[in-house]
Order: sequence, then C-alpha cells, then structure tokens
Amino acid sequence: MLDLLTEVLSRAPARCSYAEARHVATDEEELLVRNGRVDRVDRSSADGVGVRLRAGGGWGFAATREATLAGVERALARALAIAESQPAAPAGPLVPVAPAHGHWACHYERDPFDVALEDKLELLFAAERALRGDPRNVRSDAACASRRVRTAFASTDGAACTQERVECGAAISVIAVDGDELQVRSYPGAHGGSAACAGWEHVVGFDLAGNAPRVTAEAIELLSAPDCPPGRRTVILGGEQLALQIHESIGHALELDRMLLMEAAYAGTSWVKPGDLGALRYGSEHLNITADATLDGGLGTFGWDDEGVAAARTPLIEAGVLRAALSDRGCAAAIGLDRSGGCARADGFARQPIVRMTNVSIEAGAAGTLGDLIADTDDGLYLETNRSWSIDDRRLHFQFGTEVAREIRDGELGRLLRNGSYAGVTPRFWSGLDAVCSPSEWRLWGLGNCGKGEPGQVMRVSHGTAPARVADVQVGVA
Amino acid sequence: MSETPLQTAERALGLADAADVQVTVVRERSLMSRFARSAPTQATAVDDTSVEILVVHEGHTALASTNRLDDDALRATAQRARAAARAAAAGGAGTYPGLAEPATAPAHDGFDEETARLDPARAGDALRATFAIAAEHGLEAFGAWTAGAVRTAIASSTGSRLDEEVTDGFMKVVCRDASGRSGYASDTATAAGAIDPSMLARRAASKVSTEPLAELGPGCYPVVLEPEAVGVLLELLGDLAFNGMSHVEGRGALSGRLGTPVAGPAIDLADDPLSAGTLPRGVDFEGVAKAPLRLIAGGVARHVVHDLGSAALAGGDARSTGHAIAPGGSPYGPSPWNLVLGGGAAADVAELCAPIERGIYVTRLWYVNTVREKETLLTGMTREGTFLIEDGTIARPLRDVRFTDSVLRLLEATEALTSERRLVSEGEFYGRRFAHASLCPALRADGFRVTGATTSS
Repeated sequence: MLDLLTEVLSRAPARCSYAEARHVATDEEELLVRNGRVDRVDRSSADGVGVRLRAGGGWGFAATREATLAGVERALARALAIAESQPAAPAGPLVPVAPAHGHWACHYERDPFDVALEDKLELLFAAERALRGDPRNVRSDAACASRRVRTAFASTDGAACTQERVECGAAISVIAVDGDELQVRSYPGAHGGSAACAGWEHVVGFDLAGNAPRVTAEAIELLSAPDCPPGRRTVILGGEQLALQIHESIGHALELDRMLLMEAAYAGTSWVKPGDLGALRYGSEHLNITADATLDGGLGTFGWDDEGVAAARTPLIEAGVLRAALSDRGCAAAIGLDRSGGCARADGFARQPIVRMTNVSIEAGAAGTLGDLIADTDDGLYLETNRSWSIDDRRLHFQFGTEVAREIRDGELGRLLRNGSYAGVTPRFWSGLDAVCSPSEWRLWGLGNCGKGEPGQVMRVSHGTAPARVADVQVGVA
Repeated sequence: MSETPLQTAERALGLADAADVQVTVVRERSLMSRFARSAPTQATAVDDTSVEILVVHEGHTALASTNRLDDDALRATAQRARAAARAAAAGGAGTYPGLAEPATAPAHDGFDEETARLDPARAGDALRATFAIAAEHGLEAFGAWTAGAVRTAIASSTGSRLDEEVTDGFMKVVCRDASGRSGYASDTATAAGAIDPSMLARRAASKVSTEPLAELGPGCYPVVLEPEAVGVLLELLGDLAFNGMSHVEGRGALSGRLGTPVAGPAIDLADDPLSAGTLPRGVDFEGVAKAPLRLIAGGVARHVVHDLGSAALAGGDARSTGHAIAPGGSPYGPSPWNLVLGGGAAADVAELCAPIERGIYVTRLWYVNTVREKETLLTGMTREGTFLIEDGTIARPLRDVRFTDSVLRLLEATEALTSERRLVSEGEFYGRRFAHASLCPALRADGFRVTGATTSS
C-alpha cells in the first residue's frame, strides 16, 4: 500500500505545495449482553484512502473507499479541485518534520480478534448475571469492544511509514429505577468503560464479574440515598472523574487550533492565549500535566501522528505554570514554534487530521494511597464515576455530575449521597488542588468518545490520573 | 454504469446464505468547507459505501459490515454475521421479533438533483459571500458549509426492496469582533441552493453588539429561546421522553405518563418525517415505512416511538413506528429525528419579548447534556447571541450563562410561540452521514433556571 500511496503522490501536480495520503483499515467488534440476553454483536470492517493537499494556499481533502491506483488518483484530483475552489488565502507555513520511516506496532499479549466469540460472550454473561437480582434494576449491561487499525502514510515531505494498533475495552453498568428516581452505576468507568491500546488481557484484568455485585448494590442503595447538599466543600475526585476533568478543562483548552480561533464555530476557542505559554499560572504547584504519545497502553499512543510527526512526551503544565500546547504542523508554525507537538490525529480514512489530545495526564504526587488521602481529609466529599458533563466553549466554566458521592468526616468515608455534582471555573478550580496520590494509585483511563471536527470525528484518548484533592469547590449544583 | 446501492444489496443478499437476512447499503457523497477568520481552513470530500448485513437467528441479531463491494468481501461479511448470530443464540432465545414485512416507501421531497451534484464551486461562492458581508460589518467570519447526498437501499429475505436518496445542505456562520463578541446564524434544507449565505452572515453580524455586557446571577428568569435553542432541547427530549425502549423499561421521562398533561396547552409536538419543511425520510433502518406521529398534543403526552425490538418488548398492540436508527435496532433504542413543534400566534421574537420586564434572550445553546434522565433535567451554556431583555425589548448583550433546567418544565411554562418556524440542526455529522433537523418556532417560557454566569477568566 505504501508503494501505491507514494506512486500517486509522485504524480501530484506541481501546483500542490504539499500532499499526503493515508490508507486506514479498521476492524471493530462490539458485544453487548443486556438483561440476560445477547443484545448486540456488531463486527465491522472498513478501509480506504484519504488524500490531503495544499494548492494555492487552500487545503483540500478527499476520501475514497477505492484503495487502488485509479481510485486514489481520483481522490487526489478531487482534493485538488476542492482546494482550488476555495477563496484565495495566504499559505501559512508548516514546521519542518523529519520524514517518518519504518513500522510501529503497539504492545499487546492476546489479540482480541483471536479470542473465540463464545469465550467473550461467556465472560460478559458471567458479569451481567452477577448484576441481576433486584427488580428495581431495570437494565443491566455487560459490554466489550475490540479494535484494530492498520495505517500506511506517505507524504511529499518524504514520509513512508506504517502502524498497527490494537485496542480493547469493557464495562458493566446498571440502571435502577424506583418510581421517579433513576440511578446509574458503572464499572470500571461510565460511558462505555475504559479502553486501552492493549489485548484481551486488558478486559480480563477488569474482573467484571467480581465487581458486579458491588456495582448493582450501590445502584440500589443510591435510589434511597440522600441528595448531595449544596455548599462549598473539599472534594477528592476518583481517577475516572479526574480523567474527564483534565480532558475537558485542560486538554481541550490547550489545543492550539482552539487558541488560534480555528475551531471557533464548532468546538470553540480557549480561555488560554498563545501568549500565555510559559507564563500563565494554570493551577497550584501540585498541578503537573504531560502529553505523552509514547506511553505503553494509551489510546493516544502511536509511532507517528497523522502528519508523520514522531510521538513525543511534552510537559504542558509544570508546578502549575503553563509550558506548552497541543499542536500540529500548521498551528505550531503559526505561533513561531520550530516543531510540531505531534498531535495531528484523524478518525479513520475519511477524516483529515486535526489537533487532538494524545495521552494527557496528571503526574502522580506524594499523597500516598486513596485511603491515605481520605484519612488526611477532615471534611469533604469523595466523587466517583462521571454521570454528566458540560463546559463552555472557552473551556472555562464547567459542571459535572457523578454517579457516586460519599461524605468524608474526620478522615473516614461516611454516607453515600446521590446526584453528586460540582461546578467551577478552570484556573480557580485547579488553584485549589492541594494533593495528588502517589504513583501506586496512578493509572490510565481510556476515553473513546471525544468529539471534534467537521465532519465529526470521534477520537480515542487516554488520561493518566491518581485520585486528587481540591479545596473550596461548589458542590450540589444540580 | 456502476451498480446501484439496491443492486449491491440484492447481490449481497444472494451471497448471504442465511434464512433471515437484511442487507442495508448506504452510499454517502458529501462536501464540507470550514472557515475561520474569514479564510478557508479545511475542505473535505467523502465518497464511501457501507454494506451492513443483518442476520436474525432464534430471536437474536448480529450485524457485520464492510465497505468492500466484491463478492468475496460480501460473502465473508455475511459469514461473520451468521457466526455471530449463532454464537448469540447459544445463550438462549432472543426477543427480536423478526425482519419487517415489505413496505412501500412513501413519497417525499427529500432529494434535490442540483445539491446531489456536489459542486465545490458552490461552497467557494458561499464562503466568499459570507466573508464579504462580515467585512462590511468590520467582523471576521467563522463557520462551515456542507452538502450531502445519501442513498440508502435495503433488500431483505422477507422481500423488502427499498431505495431512497436524500440530500441535505447546512451552513452556519459565526461573526466575531476583535474583542471576542460573536453572533450566530444557521440554516439547513434539502436543497443547498435554498440556503442564503449572505442572509446568514447578516443575521450573525446583527448579534454582535459593542454595548457593555450585562450580567445576571443565578436565579429563574423569563426567557425567549430562538428556534436553534429550542431545537437542541427538543432533540434531547426526543431521546429522554419518546424512546420506546426507555419507556418500556421504565426509564423514560413519560413512563406511566402517556395520556396525561406534560406540557403547556400550547404545545403540539410531532415527528413528521414526510413534511417538506423537514429533512424527509420515507423508511427507517429496519425497512419500516415512516408516517407522522403525534407525540404531545395540546400539552398531553400521546405516543412514544418504536422500532421492531422495542415494540415487541412493549407487547399489546404496540407496533414499530418506523424509528429504528440502525439495522436490527440500536442498543440505544428508537429515536424521533424529524421533530416538528407547532407554532403559535406571536408575529416575531419582538412580540415574545414584549411582556418581559427583565429576562434573557437566547440565540443558541451549547454543550447541553443530561443531568437526570427521568426529570429531563439538562445543563448547558448559552453562546453567540445572549441578551438581556428589559422592559419588553432586547436591551443589551449579556454574559453567557449556564442553565440547569428540565425541558418538560420549560414546555409546561411556555407562554407563547412564534407562528414562523425554522428548520434547525447542529449540522453534526459523526460516522455515516445522517442529516436530521427539527422544525421549531421561537418561544417564551417562564422561570428559565440560570445556575451560573460566565466571567472573563
């Protein structure tokens, strides 16, 4: 395939100042056992080529499922036609990149596509069975998903590389209803669970069946739990909720295309300006955030991004001070950087690369285990597992709901509260960060539903977190 | 001449080697041009065809898909679906009632030949016109123009043979000044040529005010919602209240409430997939013919929507209403995607504002998400055109606010609606392109619950 892509690019007209071609072949499988029955067995395969080029200052991208010489040539011609139909615009520079060559593959132990379908369903049946038993439990789900993506990329800058990723994820969830009250409980995370760039061993490691009785018991208990009362409290965020907090209020805010207003009409802008890099105090000295596309197991891990830029580890915030942003070749050049942050990613062959998160993580602190952190807290709330989320288009004003809230009194967990929620303003919230748990509590959370771009792209990203404590947070807002 | 989607579906059906099979072929051709700071940024052309083979076995469904159209690929895809359906059935009988009987797709006006040509020059012209209007106002333009042609064919072992082609156009414009003040306008239609970029740019520009920003703290205020804001709320209500599967499982906002008042008497909400004022569709993804369905009439909840699976779970005389959003039904259940809210007597938004002493005018809502499902409690932000209403008129721009409120409560507190309605859409095209939109008036409601105001940083 690389030869085909290279051949087509060699035929690009001279008026193309840059061109790239990307072949993507994706295999996916999604399984769902619901209320005692197999509800979904979906297996999909798709492949095709996307050609992106620049001509006369305008960009054009065309995607085709015809991965043949003639098909890709037609896509190139179509991309050229739409680039040249755009109103004239000055051609901004691209930062240089060392040509990508070679092959990269993620590490995994057991290929999920080699595991018999019957074995996967048996695991899900066992987990879902352990969720059932109470008539107030109106829906019990056990689901898993597997994905393989093979990519070949070539560019007129000399890139010619291939990559292969394998991803796995799983989740169990319960919806309990009693009259007008509805509560949800999930494990290991909400919204489809947690996925990783890993093999079937990742799913087995969740011990879904072992966790199911606790999950369903908590859902039932929540139905009659008191509401989370409003007020200003110290909160400890569990790892999964902290992952989404970082995703929404740091990751998206530090996308350089948003700072440059390129996403103003859809995803939004950012409260952070390019001129803030190197100076802005984003949070307390406990806040250390890193974008790392080299992490083992991350959904944002790769050999090269979708512009052929090698994976990198970049500190974004150090001791609370903003150091860098997430960028691609064009955005980096626009603010005078000498290299891309390697964050150009595309969702499949029919979408073009845009600035995306890789694995944006908070570095572990020294607060010990979650138990240690709770023991160190006189009065507060422990909030776990996201239930709802919303943030403004500048990534400044957020509101989250969690499945579970628990009181903390004198260093111990107390009552279970339902409808936990909190709201805040990004820099004020992060200025209240006063403790992050130690490396033993740090783990990656894989989110598979990050939407951005037009036409829409769903990206998979990971966030490494350890539970953390934040002071003076408005809670009980919904 | 290349094979049509229906011919591909029939060929795949012949290769499937199973008793109960539905083949769905979707060909998408689309163009999308984005712009920012009055310059083009990204332009995307997509040409893709997907083949989904659904096999039903002992009450279970399994779906396999490919975008390779040769016989070997189609055979292999069908084999994957067969194997998956057998594996699913090993756990016991399922509840899927079987494939739909053959239907005739009702006629509609959802296709426009000129739009289907997908001429990139039209996108370029739209952007140029927009940039010119923005420049006249000393503003920069941001947004997107897109057009698509989607042909869907279904062939099944029960004899269904359906072939439907629809087109859609969508454009949105955000005009923005150097300080960050911005205004929004959008339009969608079956025919891209029916969208007027200059008019949208003027409408967006008219919302950019240099007056000092007013602020409102948390509290409940009278509100006037433009059609775009109403559409976002209704789309979420569609899933929370009218999803037949949620309803049957007791999770729905209308579970136990059909036949009772759930909104103000002025509220008439329907799903009207054949109306020329919407983006029409004749059949759903299970091959069931669509028809208008009253959801709320005179404020009283009347119906929820069903696909084949949710109707079977509901039992009794429940039947699919033609709202399957995936072959075999989606795990999320059915959804109404052609919502139509009846208009009222107000001539325009000025008339809606007239009785308000102090309230909020909302152009658009953003990042709206569900807080509590059964209460239809949502939270989200206002964006790009929020104003303070004082003494019956729009007085000055207002800092954007966060709201946390129930859609059904807002509909219950609705006092007036405009007679004029707009077809509104978010223009989001994730995955396979499926354009859908809601036909909405602007409305005035009491007690819009503001739970937070924005600050500069």
